[in-house]
Amino acid sequence: MLSVNNIVKQYATHRALDDVSLQVEQGKIFGLLGPNGAGKTSLIRIITQITAPDSGEIIFNGQRLNSNHISRIGYLPEERGLYKKMEIGEQVLYLAKLKGMSTAEAVKRVKYWFEKLEMGSWWNKKVEDLSKGMQQKVQFVATVLHQPELIILDEPFSGFDPVNAEIIKNEILELNKQGATFIFSTHRMESVEELCDSIALIHHSKKILDGPVAEIKERYRNQTYWVEYEGQFDTSSRTDLFKVLQRDIKNGKTTLKVQLAEGQNANKLLAVLLPAVNIHRLDEVIPSMNDIFIDQVKTKA
Amino acid sequence: MNKTLLIIQREYLSRVKKKSFIVMTILTPVIFAAFYGIMIYFSIQGIKGTTNKIAVVSTNKTLTGQLKPSRSTSYVYVKSSLSEMKQRLKKTDYDYILYLPEFPLNAPAGIQLLGTKQAGLSLSSAISGDLENLIRNQKLEESGIAQQDLDKLNSDVDIDTKKIGEAGQEQDSSAGASTAIAYISGILMFMFILLYGIQVMRGVIEEKTNRIIEIMISSVKPFQLMMGKIIGIALVGLTQFILWIAFTAIISTAVVKFYISKTTPNTTVTTASAEKTNENKLLKEAAEKSPLGNIQKSIANLDVTKIVSIFTFFFLGGYLFYSAFYAAIGAAVDNETETQQFMFPVMMPLLLGYSLSLSVVTNDPYGSMAFWLSIIPFTSPIAMMVRLPYGVPDWQLALSMGLLVIGFIGTVWVASRIYRVGILMYGKKTSLKEMIKWFTYKN
Repeated sequence: MLSVNNIVKQYATHRALDDVSLQVEQGKIFGLLGPNGAGKTSLIRIITQITAPDSGEIIFNGQRLNSNHISRIGYLPEERGLYKKMEIGEQVLYLAKLKGMSTAEAVKRVKYWFEKLEMGSWWNKKVEDLSKGMQQKVQFVATVLHQPELIILDEPFSGFDPVNAEIIKNEILELNKQGATFIFSTHRMESVEELCDSIALIHHSKKILDGPVAEIKERYRNQTYWVEYEGQFDTSSRTDLFKVLQRDIKNGKTTLKVQLAEGQNANKLLAVLLPAVNIHRLDEVIPSMNDIFIDQVKTKA
Repeated sequence: MNKTLLIIQREYLSRVKKKSFIVMTILTPVIFAAFYGIMIYFSIQGIKGTTNKIAVVSTNKTLTGQLKPSRSTSYVYVKSSLSEMKQRLKKTDYDYILYLPEFPLNAPAGIQLLGTKQAGLSLSSAISGDLENLIRNQKLEESGIAQQDLDKLNSDVDIDTKKIGEAGQEQDSSAGASTAIAYISGILMFMFILLYGIQVMRGVIEEKTNRIIEIMISSVKPFQLMMGKIIGIALVGLTQFILWIAFTAIISTAVVKFYISKTTPNTTVTTASAEKTNENKLLKEAAEKSPLGNIQKSIANLDVTKIVSIFTFFFLGGYLFYSAFYAAIGAAVDNETETQQFMFPVMMPLLLGYSLSLSVVTNDPYGSMAFWLSIIPFTSPIAMMVRLPYGVPDWQLALSMGLLVIGFIGTVWVASRIYRVGILMYGKKTSLKEMIKWFTYKN
């Protein structure tokens, strides 16, 4: 649904985006990851047409991105903000109308969302009278109100307490089920694993990794396992099969983190261990997105 | 609905609904009217004054019975001696004792004014003036000039200033009235441009510090947002201006009516003494002759519709011209304290135009300085308004208006280029050099 092709954005002395390309598929949740200052916000601002790229193009549903698409994109910036002195209802209506909704339609949608998120009594309140978490909710409603096909959320969970974060997460999943495509920009890797179908990792203005989350994780499997057993086993006897990365002996129980040699598999490891010790556990170490993120950022630094 | 219109609507309504706007709109004309009322009150009080009753103790034969009552004093010749009067003064209704001893007319000496309170400077100079006149008349009579001849010497000179209009017709005018109108419109223009220009800046800073700017810019173009804000606030200014005029007119009319009803003799009341009626007539005449009365008369002769409509044009033009700068400044900074360094260069021409207009232009409204000040867009809104009551040729007016329109299109264009970059910049201290760099960025 969204293709970012060879985007370059140059600020005076600093190149914010260097030949970045990525694909966001229809109906998926896409994670845009990267350390601070990597260029995520620059890219989002280009997709939301706040700024324009120096070169490269963005294709939205087969068309070159243009101002007609503004009403089909919803954007929740990392830096949240609303008019402090304006009443909530009026404010959300105003933002919806700026996205091209008719007043009647906007009123209907605002009522629907306020009902849904239990904000019914907030209509005449001013933003400055609301707590930070409440403001976030209002902001979320303002983002999704005009039923955008593409919803871009920059750090959507920051500022929410766990209860509200859960509510918002469920709303995101529901909207996704109804067909909305999401782009997530975040540092919170657990939410990436939970929500995202695919990701792109941007570092130092360049894309260094992208693809479906499952595929990336598969790629980063490196034959590493946790083994826990009771008994004696000379680990140095089978260096052809595995090497020990980490060892921990407690109450007669040994916990090892081992990496199998090329061409070996867990069955062979078990076959060697079975006669010698009492096995309590064996499981594969699947790298978390967090590990992959840190690993990638460190090695490419 | 058009997005710019939506923005204009929000900017307008959110300001007009504010309490401070309502208070300002109502209070200012009340203050104006109160000021006006006090001016009228004092001008009438000044004419009427308080009359001091003075007991004249005279041992001077030539001057006895000669002093005539004047506006602020009435003289009563008493037979008692000075020492008697001194003791009795508190019991009588006299305010002062004037003691005239015997002296040669060439060298008056020993005259005293005694009272329970110190006589003011205006009273003592009035009395000495009366005495001087009296002595002079006496001397003239001594030299053989008759009273009738003396009366003939006095003549009242009253200059009627009239301006000749383009068709050669005479128009009543008054230099005082023109100056007053020039001052008022100059001050109003300065105030309006500054007040509402700063509101634009505050609005932009508010959007930046509230961080709503990114949401706005993902829905509308920066130019739409900037223009929406500028136009919305201009409409607030116009609303306030129109309400002020309406309120001021209503209140002033009421105040003037109130005073006129108080000073106009009621003809149906026959008990009013002839003297009282006469005094009232005098007061009315004096009021009409006073600068204030003159101004009122001249205001009636000025083309108010023309002045108001030209004021509106120059207010809008000048405001647009300057508010664009203010929008750019607001976009370049993170908070209001940082605005100082940029405010000064923007304020300078406005301030210069203001002070020069009220000094040079009012003194010489047709001079070349006045001409240039009223043509160059930086100063023209104020300078032209100041010149207007004195009369400005149509071609100059047209030229000034045309240049102002070109001027504000230019400043809006420049400002919008700085604005679109500045609003998304946070946490950086912006220099003028940087703003120039932003200007050159392509989209």
